[in-house]
Amino acid sequence: MSRLEAKKPSICRSDPLTGERARASLAALKGLVMSCYGPAGRLKQLHNGRGGSVVTTSQSAALLAGLPVSHPVLKVLTAAVRNHVACFSDGGLFTAILCCNLVENVQRLGLAPTTVIKLNKHLLSLCTSYLKSEGCACRIPVDFSSTQILLSLVRSILTSKPACMLIAKEVDHISTLILRAFLLTIPENAQEHIILGKSIIVPLKGQRVIDSAVLPGILIEVSEVQLMKILPIKKSDSFKVALFCVSLSGDLSDTGEGTLLVSYGVSLENAALDQLFNLGKQLVSDHVDLVLCQKVIHPSLKQFLRTHHVIAVDRIGVSLMEPLSKVTGTWPIGSLGSISPSSYGSVKDLCIAKFGCKHFFHLIPNKTTICSLLLCNRNDTAWDELKLTCQTALHALQLTIKDPYALLGGGCTETHLVAYIRHKTRNEPESVLRDERCSQTELQLITEAFCSALESLAGSLEHDGGEILTDSKYGHFWSVQANLPSAVNWPDLPSRCGCGLYSSQEELSWSFLRSARHPFPPQTCLSREATGSADTLTLDCFTAKLSGLQVAVETASLILDLSCVIEDTN
Amino acid sequence: MVKRVMVACVSSHLRKTGDGAKTFIIFLCHLLRGLREITDKEKDSFLFENIQTCGRHWKNCCRWKFISQAFLTFQTQILDYVMDHYLSRHFLSIFSSCTKERTLCRSSLEMLLGAYFCGRVGRNNQNLMSQLMCDYVFKCTACESRFEEVLELVDDCFVELKVGVTGLPVSDSRIIAGLVLQRDFSVYCPADGDIRIVIVTETIQPLFSISGSEFTLNSEAQFQTSQFWITERTKAIVKHLQNQNVKLLLSTVKQPDLVIYCAGLNGISVVECLSSEELSLIQRVIGLAPFVLPEASSQYELSHTALAKFCKPLILRSKRFVHLGLMSTCSFAPHCIALCAPVQGLVEQHENALHGAFKMLRQAFKDLDLNCVTQTSDQSCTSGPCIYKNSRESNELPKIVNSSIQRSYQDTVVKKKGELAKTQTNLKVCSNLIVPSVKLEQNVLCSTPKVAVTDSYQTDETLRCSSPNKGRIMDDQEPFIESNSANSKPENTRRGISYENLQVTKLARKDSILPLRYKSLETCTSQSYYSSSIPAGCVLPVGGNFEILLHYYLLNYAKKCQQSEQTMVSRIIANAILGVPKILYKSKKGNYSFPQVYVRALQALQTNQPMISNQTGLESVAGKYQLLTSVLQCLTNILTVDLVINIKRQPQEVYDQDSEEEL
Repeated sequence: MSRLEAKKPSICRSDPLTGERARASLAALKGLVMSCYGPAGRLKQLHNGRGGSVVTTSQSAALLAGLPVSHPVLKVLTAAVRNHVACFSDGGLFTAILCCNLVENVQRLGLAPTTVIKLNKHLLSLCTSYLKSEGCACRIPVDFSSTQILLSLVRSILTSKPACMLIAKEVDHISTLILRAFLLTIPENAQEHIILGKSIIVPLKGQRVIDSAVLPGILIEVSEVQLMKILPIKKSDSFKVALFCVSLSGDLSDTGEGTLLVSYGVSLENAALDQLFNLGKQLVSDHVDLVLCQKVIHPSLKQFLRTHHVIAVDRIGVSLMEPLSKVTGTWPIGSLGSISPSSYGSVKDLCIAKFGCKHFFHLIPNKTTICSLLLCNRNDTAWDELKLTCQTALHALQLTIKDPYALLGGGCTETHLVAYIRHKTRNEPESVLRDERCSQTELQLITEAFCSALESLAGSLEHDGGEILTDSKYGHFWSVQANLPSAVNWPDLPSRCGCGLYSSQEELSWSFLRSARHPFPPQTCLSREATGSADTLTLDCFTAKLSGLQVAVETASLILDLSCVIEDTN
Repeated sequence: MVKRVMVACVSSHLRKTGDGAKTFIIFLCHLLRGLREITDKEKDSFLFENIQTCGRHWKNCCRWKFISQAFLTFQTQILDYVMDHYLSRHFLSIFSSCTKERTLCRSSLEMLLGAYFCGRVGRNNQNLMSQLMCDYVFKCTACESRFEEVLELVDDCFVELKVGVTGLPVSDSRIIAGLVLQRDFSVYCPADGDIRIVIVTETIQPLFSISGSEFTLNSEAQFQTSQFWITERTKAIVKHLQNQNVKLLLSTVKQPDLVIYCAGLNGISVVECLSSEELSLIQRVIGLAPFVLPEASSQYELSHTALAKFCKPLILRSKRFVHLGLMSTCSFAPHCIALCAPVQGLVEQHENALHGAFKMLRQAFKDLDLNCVTQTSDQSCTSGPCIYKNSRESNELPKIVNSSIQRSYQDTVVKKKGELAKTQTNLKVCSNLIVPSVKLEQNVLCSTPKVAVTDSYQTDETLRCSSPNKGRIMDDQEPFIESNSANSKPENTRRGISYENLQVTKLARKDSILPLRYKSLETCTSQSYYSSSIPAGCVLPVGGNFEILLHYYLLNYAKKCQQSEQTMVSRIIANAILGVPKILYKSKKGNYSFPQVYVRALQALQTNQPMISNQTGLESVAGKYQLLTSVLQCLTNILTVDLVINIKRQPQEVYDQDSEEEL
């Protein structure tokens, strides 16, 4: 008998942000995500006391998925970040940190939420319109005729995920592979709408990262037992393929809702098997070389096909069906009766390949946009992290095709934006004050809160106690080592800025990032030569970062707008 | 318990109108508070009259019941009267021209929606949402003058017309031309030009046996031939569809693999598992009936097809959806709203707000009938016949209801079937009949004392709530009461227990004459309804304008009104309604504080000048009116309950157990 419990009344908490508990948990989350940020970020290990695998990561996707959050405000925040990551793969930590910073900074001011939200929205629109404008100096156009910028983008994503445990040589290798895999998915004769293909990541754990490879076509893993049964593949320049989506196991499919009466002595199994053999005969007479089945093939049919020199592979699974149908050009067959000849497809070559300890059946297509990325890493956790990173990088490349821009990484975009906003609100505040009906002081306070949130975000790239400087010409991010003797003239030390676009050769004047400075107009309009000269830049995905910025500000506004949290504890 | 009733009332109101939940509660609370003040004041006067043994509780209940009736009367008569005679002159119209052909004015619609979203979505998204909704309404309206139909359809099918996308900034929300079905194609074959659509509601592939039937297999060969036949037949049907140039098959059920395969080979795209809501939406838009499978696969002309401009996959947040450009056959041009937000909760908030806004618009663009009757036939003539039936019970009355005549009266009403009940409902729901005192006097005059024994409380009720300005009725009847008393003495003397009873008895005696009047009036049932309405699209500026207007005119009315009860009710409501703007202006200071605004509005009203509102934004009058009536109905609900029985057990399970034990 179930125990009945009295219904508890809902818990109603007003001002969910002001409590000590809220502040503490927000600070804890902020500390957590900040320490993960960037190439020098610290790794986090997630254990579950009840068992399961241990996850070592610094990525928001893996971190927030395994992190139990109880405070309602944090739930909103993490949900927003996770949804952002689900959409764009990249920029999760960026969004999380910015959102935490904004909430914290604004909370400290104690202004009315209405004003804060209005002005934050205004500042956000200032940022987005600047980032989208032609004159934006922290955005570079992506040149698809050379691999340089694309490679920089991929490399930046790889290096920012230290839990992949890659050394420099491996980073180079993997970034080349990712870029190659991506380029293989682009159709050759591009029309108005490009339909990208797919790169399938094939796991191969326990191997050296250097052994990873990209292969055109599809790899189907086969066990050694199955491999024994597969006949030596004859030489041919084309193989005819039949791809089945129905089960070939001889079971009776849907017979309807009524009853089916079978007289004594009638064996439906035999009847079904007869039907399968008829199908086999048709396949043989149609000169099919390879039969692939999503579900199970009856052993007798397999035997029959083998004796007629037809290779049969079953249990392919639904996830490979779409790429297989694309690679082979077949139409998945859903009938056991007569098969239309138009539903057969072909592949250029078939071979059996062995990578590590695994055997694969490799289908090499004539011309297609499907490729397999064979990904190796030493252990499971590192492999998981690397896989996530590769997916992120591939996604970022896809997004870049849609919006052919990249943002300067390494904190330079943030500091540049800060300089831009400060300058803009200082020099042209009239329009804001008129439109938003607020006072000069309020505008100043909130601009400062917004800018320091961005600065603190950029500052969290530095984990080793170094100093962060910013120059007063471009507004870029410069990092110097900690504990420098004061005698040394420190401004000479940083050789390159965070994104690698500018070097300290120029006459620049530096100041500490979070110190009081006079607002200056950052130089807009990026020169072509500047982008060409630097060979390796740190770049961020434009679409993901822009959306992350918007999501962070919108979520912060949402959180600041909360005046009461009602929780049903039943 | 009262809270539960309130919540239930609020949610049912919200379901219908999509607006005013907060005002509902504020207004109701103020009403209850106002009532309490009044009763507290009057308590003393009760006490000394209440010497009899009757419990205080029942006494209060009588009173509440009394008041609730007064509220009902107010709602059904006075409110409409005030709305029509006084408030209507202040109404503005949302249409740009007042001619027959009504055209929506975009800027007014934006103001109306802006005010609506103001309290419903976060501060930074209000503008965006009202813009989005405005665009949507205009894009969906194919024919300018028939936007009511569009609103109706959008309200009904809103769930199917929106797509929620999480993880994107709210500013990415947009309107998508065409319909978006929230599933992927089972087969997608790209096709150009106009696309012919067919809807099916059953599997195309015939099955071995249908439900309730039996299929006997006698041999393997038979099995194989039947399978062969099934395959061939399926192919034939799909081929037939292809010959008719069908390019898209919409199915409410899951189709077997064979069908999908054949469709793919024949270049027909398939979408499976449409929900019944989606199906009904599509049917409303294109007016297409499902395709009935032909009995014989011979030549069968396909009559049920429709056309689409395009049919393609749509990718939203790396999920694939079916995107259909249906050619509409009704006034609704199909469009969808993609609502983006960082978190699911926000998407839902915006969905609810939009849905509510459509409900609100739908109500705002309806003509709302007001029943204002100035001259009528007597309402009590219908109740006449029942009075005889009543008599038996009313004779017993004194015994049962020592102290709660009102209650037993209520019981009587409930028990009564037929006409009496009908009259009663009439009375409650829509009676706006005002009995002119002149007529009544006439009736009274021609009555005879003979029938006086058959008194009825029911009609007494009728009289009481019939007219706001017939305060003199009772006086007129004085002579008859005396004459009556001779016949109905035993009852009357016993009834004179308490103050209230006395009053009721008085009235009852007065009613005793009604049967006769019924006869006399039967011949002259000339009804002259003066019915008016709040025309569609009536709006007022936001910021408590409606409330202040109503307050002002109700107080005026109360001054003129001679009947003490109606005066009291009007006063209570007038004061309670002011609670809404008081809260609205709570945070404002100086010139915009509530007293200032109120005084300015009153001055403007007294000098017949237009009221000046400092806020931009409009609200629908129909919505406000409905809100008032809902609140008053809720209030009467609450007041008529005399006892709350608290059951502390789980409703379902425990009940079963107990009944078993008892057996």
